[in-house]
Formats: sequence, structure tokens, C-alpha cells
Amino acid sequence: MDLDEFKEIIHRCFRCGYCKFTHNYSDFNCPSFDKYKFESFSTGGRMWLIYALMNKETEWSERVANILYSCPTCGNCMENCRFEKFNTFLVDIIEAARARAVESGFCPERQKTLLERTINPKYYNPYGEPNTNNEDLKQKYNLPNQAEWVYFIGCTSNYRQQDLRDATLKLLKSAGISFTLIDEHCCTSPLIRTGQIEPVEEFMNYNIERIQETGAKKVITSCAGCCRTLKVDFKKQDIKMDIEVLHTSELINHLLKEGKITFDSEINKIITYHDPCHIGRHLGLYDAPREVYNNIPGIDFREMERIKGDSWCCGAGGGVKIGYPDWALEISKERLEQAKKTGAQIISSTCPFCRTNLSDANIKFAMGFEILDLVEILDKIQITAHKK
Amino acid sequence: MNKEKILSELQKIVGNAFVSNDPAELYIYSIDPGASKPRSVNFVVMPASTEEVQAIVKLANEYKIPIVPMGGGLTLSGLTLPVKGGIVMDMKRMNKIVEINKLSRYALLEAGVTTGRLQAYLDKNYPELQVSVPDAPPSVTVAGNALINGSGFLTHQHGDHGAMINGLEIVLPNGELCKLGSCGLSDYWFSRGPIPDLIGLYTSSFGIMGIVTKLSIKLYPKPKMRDLVFGLFKKTDIIPNLLYKVTSTDLVEDILLGIQGKPDWMADYIFIISYITGNTQDELDKKEKKLKKMYRKNGARFMKAPPRLRDAFLEKPQFAANAADFRKGGGFEYVGSFFPLEKVPEAIEEGVKISEKYGIVPTLGARIFGATHTVMVFFTYAFNRADPDDIQNARDALKETNEITLKLGGIPWKGELEAQKMILEKIDPQYKNLLKTIKNHLDPNGIMNPGNWEVN
Ligand SMILES: Cc1cc2nc3c(=O)[nH]c(=O)nc-3n(C[C@H](O)[C@H](O)[C@H](O)COP(=O)(O)OP(=O)(O)OC[C@H]3O[C@@H](n4cnc5c(N)ncnc54)[C@H](O)[C@@H]3O)c2cc1C
Ligand code: SF4
Ligand code: SF4
Repeated sequence: MDLDEFKEIIHRCFRCGYCKFTHNYSDFNCPSFDKYKFESFSTGGRMWLIYALMNKETEWSERVANILYSCPTCGNCMENCRFEKFNTFLVDIIEAARARAVESGFCPERQKTLLERTINPKYYNPYGEPNTNNEDLKQKYNLPNQAEWVYFIGCTSNYRQQDLRDATLKLLKSAGISFTLIDEHCCTSPLIRTGQIEPVEEFMNYNIERIQETGAKKVITSCAGCCRTLKVDFKKQDIKMDIEVLHTSELINHLLKEGKITFDSEINKIITYHDPCHIGRHLGLYDAPREVYNNIPGIDFREMERIKGDSWCCGAGGGVKIGYPDWALEISKERLEQAKKTGAQIISSTCPFCRTNLSDANIKFAMGFEILDLVEILDKIQITAHKK
Repeated sequence: MNKEKILSELQKIVGNAFVSNDPAELYIYSIDPGASKPRSVNFVVMPASTEEVQAIVKLANEYKIPIVPMGGGLTLSGLTLPVKGGIVMDMKRMNKIVEINKLSRYALLEAGVTTGRLQAYLDKNYPELQVSVPDAPPSVTVAGNALINGSGFLTHQHGDHGAMINGLEIVLPNGELCKLGSCGLSDYWFSRGPIPDLIGLYTSSFGIMGIVTKLSIKLYPKPKMRDLVFGLFKKTDIIPNLLYKVTSTDLVEDILLGIQGKPDWMADYIFIISYITGNTQDELDKKEKKLKKMYRKNGARFMKAPPRLRDAFLEKPQFAANAADFRKGGGFEYVGSFFPLEKVPEAIEEGVKISEKYGIVPTLGARIFGATHTVMVFFTYAFNRADPDDIQNARDALKETNEITLKLGGIPWKGELEAQKMILEKIDPQYKNLLKTIKNHLDPNGIMNPGNWEVN
């Protein structure tokens, strides 16, 4: 959405700071404010700066761009701002202001590479990896051209977390799901989050056409970023689609509840769950993953102190991992320290991007965890499909 | 002013990341959510320790540059906007809860600890203890609030929050360190006296006497249950007697009055909320019964509070910031005035008239301090931040309210510059002289928040 569309609400932010906290005010939960500490780096500070930019009371500068970009779009502010008339728009406003930064020539250099790589016909992904049309995977897993579901792999799983991708493919196969893959291009989440929106509509239309060609009416994704984009941003962009989007954790939970699959072996580990912001606070998807973990035989599932709406972000989102790589890892370190208190051996998440950042921090700070996606944990147990 | 030199000196003290003179920070720190006009700032600095505060104060003396200490910056009266430029010292990095003394019931805190965090910390670790928090957003600081004689849900029982200070660690305007209260001679921050009480110099003086780096604040036992007894009446003249009667007993924890033009059904009424606490439902029921009777006998009628209202008023802190959206515009400011009980009816009537005159839905209230030793009446004026005329309208209403307050024998609380001037005009000249003498002696270079309480 264009920043002007928020003109009537942006000045309604009071700069009161509820958005800085967890629900019970136990601590600051906006990673950006927690790091930089200046009021300008709080959500309210951002709202006031954006409003001042719109009114020309202040000017674009590298610092202003830095303030706007040093936010992992975690959504804690949407969750904890008390003003219900506008709290749902806070992250949208930050993203719309980033689009203005791009127009005004203030997109930071590192974030620019996301766009450069994504629109490059050799890649179509923000990692700058040669684009794969997924035909070899279709062959390997014997997938049809037409199916009920499309598994939208997402760039992070396909180019960085292939174990997770393969585990998802195996899981869908063993659950007896009729699915296929498409020659996908980036879902555009990194572009929307960083305000580089010019090619977004074209990419969305491309992906929708590929999905429609398969005859599928449902899409499954194992990535929180893709999931939020397909569920929310496609609609905001007015993309015509008659397609239901489910996150893997939702699908697995449905299958469990309908008795279509059962978990038939144990995993005797202490596991804690990190809520990815883009399916957690952004989509309210908190219970499905937990229900799946709690169905795994032998698991000792323990919660961290900050969970669900109060979850501490992993620090990767919103272009922060590419823009501020060291800080992104500091944010994850904080999460790993929170996890340590539970006594967990495994930190599990439901997003390849969280998994990447948590793993990187786990290695860098020698925290000694095993970091696994939910699907990778399921890959370690025996799953039986039942015809119902 | 040698800005480059000052910047590099400040960077040496706190590190590059925690000092800024970038227009983005200077803009944000030059405005607050109240109705004050922006005032310019030269630097924002965030010290992490008392030693860093001392070094900054010494630097400010060297360069004769003003310092304005800031907690949450949420008084709404522009008290953290520099009057004469200079350094805003944002205290939030000094955020340690140093000690909770359970037996002597106090919390020793660094100046940047927020009310929200202290409250959550006690709830988790000391559920039998509580601190009196204001109904300000949880991002305000315990220090900033106590230092302006703030008030909260335990103020009726235990006085304003300034009175709850046991001790202070202060960086004096010359950079020296000073401890006031029992901490000046004991390891325990348990008491304000019995020694000459200099802590009062630091309350409601808005940072002109030095910078508080630590404070000890009183904690209180926390009953297991809390509820409210809601009542309504129409005529202001019953207020003194009603409050006098209710406070003659030890039935209530806190008492609030409210006048709200919206929703429509409330417009004709004044409401009273008495908070009751106890450890059993039976205890609460008995208190409720007595209060109902007391309301009836003294001209008010009990009403079962609608659930949403009840929840809203039981929240700690209450979501008073809600008023900022009354005009869909992210702004409000209020005059909170301290009155003797007998003047409350007139104050409320005048407040309603002012609201009506300025076309603002009347939103007034009152909180009782002590056994009616003081009643703080608040007159809230919402405005739309996007509309300069609307902001000016609120400013005019605030000014008129300050004038009426003083005329009625009350005192505006946490007064913005204009209110401070009005108070100084009216105050005993010897009070002014004494203030000036102390201030000049403590701060010969005039670096501490100059322009506030300025006696010429
Ligand atoms: C919605 C809303 C509701 C409110 N409700 C209440 C209420 O119920 N009760 C109440 O009491 N108040 C209330 N307030 C008023 C005010 O916000 C609070 O009193 C608040 O606690 C002030 O604290 P602060 O940290 O924001 O102080 P600041 O605004 O940062 O500072 C207040 C003053 O103290 C000085 N100061 C701050 N820190 C130091 C220090 N370390 N050393 C020396 N001087 C210092 C500042 O220079 C300034 O003059 C409310 C405000 C809002 C916005
Ligand atoms: S975003 Fe909401 S909670 Fe945060 S400062 Fe603005 S109004 Fe307050
Ligand atoms: S999205 Fe997260 S990091 Fe960004 S402003 Fe909101 S709370 Fe802070």
C-alpha cells in the first residue's frame, strides 16, 4: 500500500510506547528499540518520523533510512499497541515508508542486492542462486503435473535449507498428499519487506499462473515469509486467486486431527518452539505447531517465557539479516539464551529463515543446541498414512 | 558552542552508539506527545552508569551547555524539551533493578527503570509486594514519575509518589555525587529521615537541581483480591461530604472521580470508583455492602459497573492514553491540579465550562491523595496532532485551566513553562528568593534544565 493511504491514521500514534513491551511489560520486546535505545528507533518514533517526512518537517537521510530499515518487521508493535483502530497497520506503514526510501534513493546498499538478484532472470531469488525449475525434484519424488496441492518451496528452503525442503517433500509423500511443484520465482516477501515493490505484482501474477496451471486449489508452504505473503500480501495487491494457502504445521495438524496420519515412533528429546513472527504475530498461527509437537511420542515439549504474541523475534526478517548481519545474530543469541532456560536440547521452528538465523547464531556463539524445523523433526520419526 | 568537540567528548564518555546529534534524533527529542511547541535540542546522550552521568555533567559545565534529564518523556507538559537547547540525557540505559528489600519493603532502582518493568518484576518475583504505578503508559520511569510527585492507585493510602521516595543518589550540577536519605549513612535505603530532608529539593523541581541516578521507592503489601464499587451522582456539591465520609473509614484502597462526555449515557453523571481489596471474597463483599450504603446516604447511587468498564478500571496501569484518540489525532494534554477538597466542586464545574467553551468533550477526573489531604483534579484536552488549530485550541484551554486553578487556590501539577511562570508570579516572594539562592548555589553555571522554575 502506498504511504499516502495511511495519511489519515499515521498521526494517531501517541508515542506512548506500549509497543515497546511484552504484554505484561516485563521487558522491551521490540528488538530494534532494545538495541538502539533512542526513541527514534521505537515504533512510535518511526511513526512520528514518517509523519514528519510526509509533512516535510524533516528530510530523508541515511540515518532516517537506517532507522526505518533496522526493524525486522517482527510485529510486536502490532500486538502490543493498544490503539485498535490502527495497530494492525504499523508494520505496513513502516514498509510503505521504506518504499518511499527506495523512491527517494535511500534504500541501503545491502538491501538493494535483494532486488538486483531477484529480478535477474538467471536467479529469480534473493540469494543469487541459479534458478531451478524444480523438474529434477518432481522426477525424484515422482510428482505429477496436475495435483490437488502445490508445495511452494520458497527460496530459503530451496537454496539454503535443502534438508528442510527434502524433509517436507518426504513428509507430504508419506502422508499421501496429492501435490506437485512449480517453477517458482521468489514470493516477493523480501522485496515487500524492504520497500522494493516495483516488480512485486509481476512476480505474484507469475507464481499464481504457474499454480493455476497445475489445477491445484491449495498451496502449502513451509516458510513463514512465503506464507504471510501468499495469505496476506497477495490479497493486498489485489491478485486474483481462488487458492487456499496453508502452512505445513496447519496441514499436518489437520491430518493428525482427521486421523489421516499417525506418528508411530518416539523422539526422546527436550524441545522448545520458536514462534516465527510472520506466521505468529502476523497470522495468529500459534496453536497448530504446538499441537503437532505435543503429538510426537516421547517429546518433552517446553515453552520459553516469551511465546506466541510475546515471542522474541529471531532477528532475520525485514531485510535485517542482509542489512545488519551481526545484529541479526545478536537478536538470535538473545532467543537462544531464552531457550537455554528451558533446558531444551532442540530449538525448533516452522520457518527456514528463522532456522537459518538461529543456526548461525548457535554456531557463532557456541550455544550447543540442535536447531531443527518441525518438519525435520518429523523426518526422524515414523509416520503412517491412513486412508479415511 | 563547539559542537564537534562536544560531540566527540560525549562519544568518548558513552560510546558512539549512544550519542546523537543527527537531525532525526534531534527532531524526535524536540517534541513530546503533549501540546507544547517543539523546542530545539543539540545532542541526545544515553549514559549507562553514574560515572558516565558525572562525566557528562562535568563536560556540560566546561562548555556551559544545558542538560535536560529525561525518563519516559511523557509528562505531556514539555518538561523534557530543552528551553535553552543543549543535551537531552535519556536515562533508559540505566535500567537495573538493583535490589528488592522484601522485609523493609523498598526497591532500589537505577533512574531508567520503567514502571512497567518494575511492576512485572514484582508480580513475578515478589507477588506479595506491589508498587504504586501511575496510570501513565508503562514506558514512563519510576524516577521521572516520583520526581514530579506523581500519583497512583496507592496514593490515597500512602501519599503521592514523591512521598514514597526513601532515598536518592544524585549527580549534583557540579558533577559531584551525593546520597540523600538513610543511604547517606547506612547500607540500607530504607528511610528518608530522621535527618534534614533534602529530597524535597528534587521533587517537582524538574531536573534543575541535579540528576537522579538511583532511587529507593517504597513497596507495599499486596492483597490477593481487588475490585471496585461504582457509583453515580449528578451534583458536584455532594463531593466534599461524600469523599470525606468514604475516606473516614479504611474501606478503600483508591478513589477516583470521573466526568466523561462520552458515551452519551455518562454525560449527565459524575462517577465515583472506590477500589476495595482483601484476601477473601467475603471481605470484599462486606466492604462493597458498606460502601453501597455510604454512597446512598451521601447522595450517590451504586451501579454495577458494566464488565468492559470494570475491566478497564481494574487494569494496572489503566489505559489512560486512550484519550489520545478521542479526536482521532494522537494527542492530549491535561492539567492536573492539586486542590483542597472544598474547592473540588467549583474546579469541576469550571473545567466542564472550559471544555465546552473550547468544543472538547469534557473529560475530567480526580484522585484522592491521603485522607483527602489533597485532591488532584485532572482536566483533559484531546487534540488532533494533524491540525495546528486544534492543538492551539487545546493550548488555550490548558492556559485557562491553569488560571482558574490558581484563582481557586489550587496548584497546577507538573506545569508546563507557562504554568510555572503563573505559579512564580503568585508565589510568596521569599519562596522565590530561597529557590533562586539554592539553585544558583548548586548550579552556578546554570546548566541544569535552565528555563524551568526560572526566577529572574
Ligand atoms: C496517558 C497518561 C496518563 C498519565 N497518568 C498519570 C497518572 O495516573 N499519575 C501520574 O502521576 N502521572 C500520570 N501521567 C503523567 C506522566 O506521564 C507521568 O507522571 C510519568 O510517570 C512521568 O515520568 P517520565 O519518566 O515520563 O518522566 P519525564 O517526562 O521523563 O520527566 C519528568 C520530569 O522529571 C525530570 N527527570 C526525569 N528523570 C530525571 C532524573 N533521573 N533526574 C532528575 N530529573 C529527572 C525531567 O527533566 C522532567 O522535568 C500520565 C501521562 C500520560 C501520558
Ligand atoms: S505505535 Fe501504538 S503503542 Fe506505540 S507509541 Fe504509537 S500509539 Fe503508542
Ligand atoms: S516490527 Fe518489531 S522491530 Fe519493527 S518497530 Fe515493530 S516491534 Fe519494533
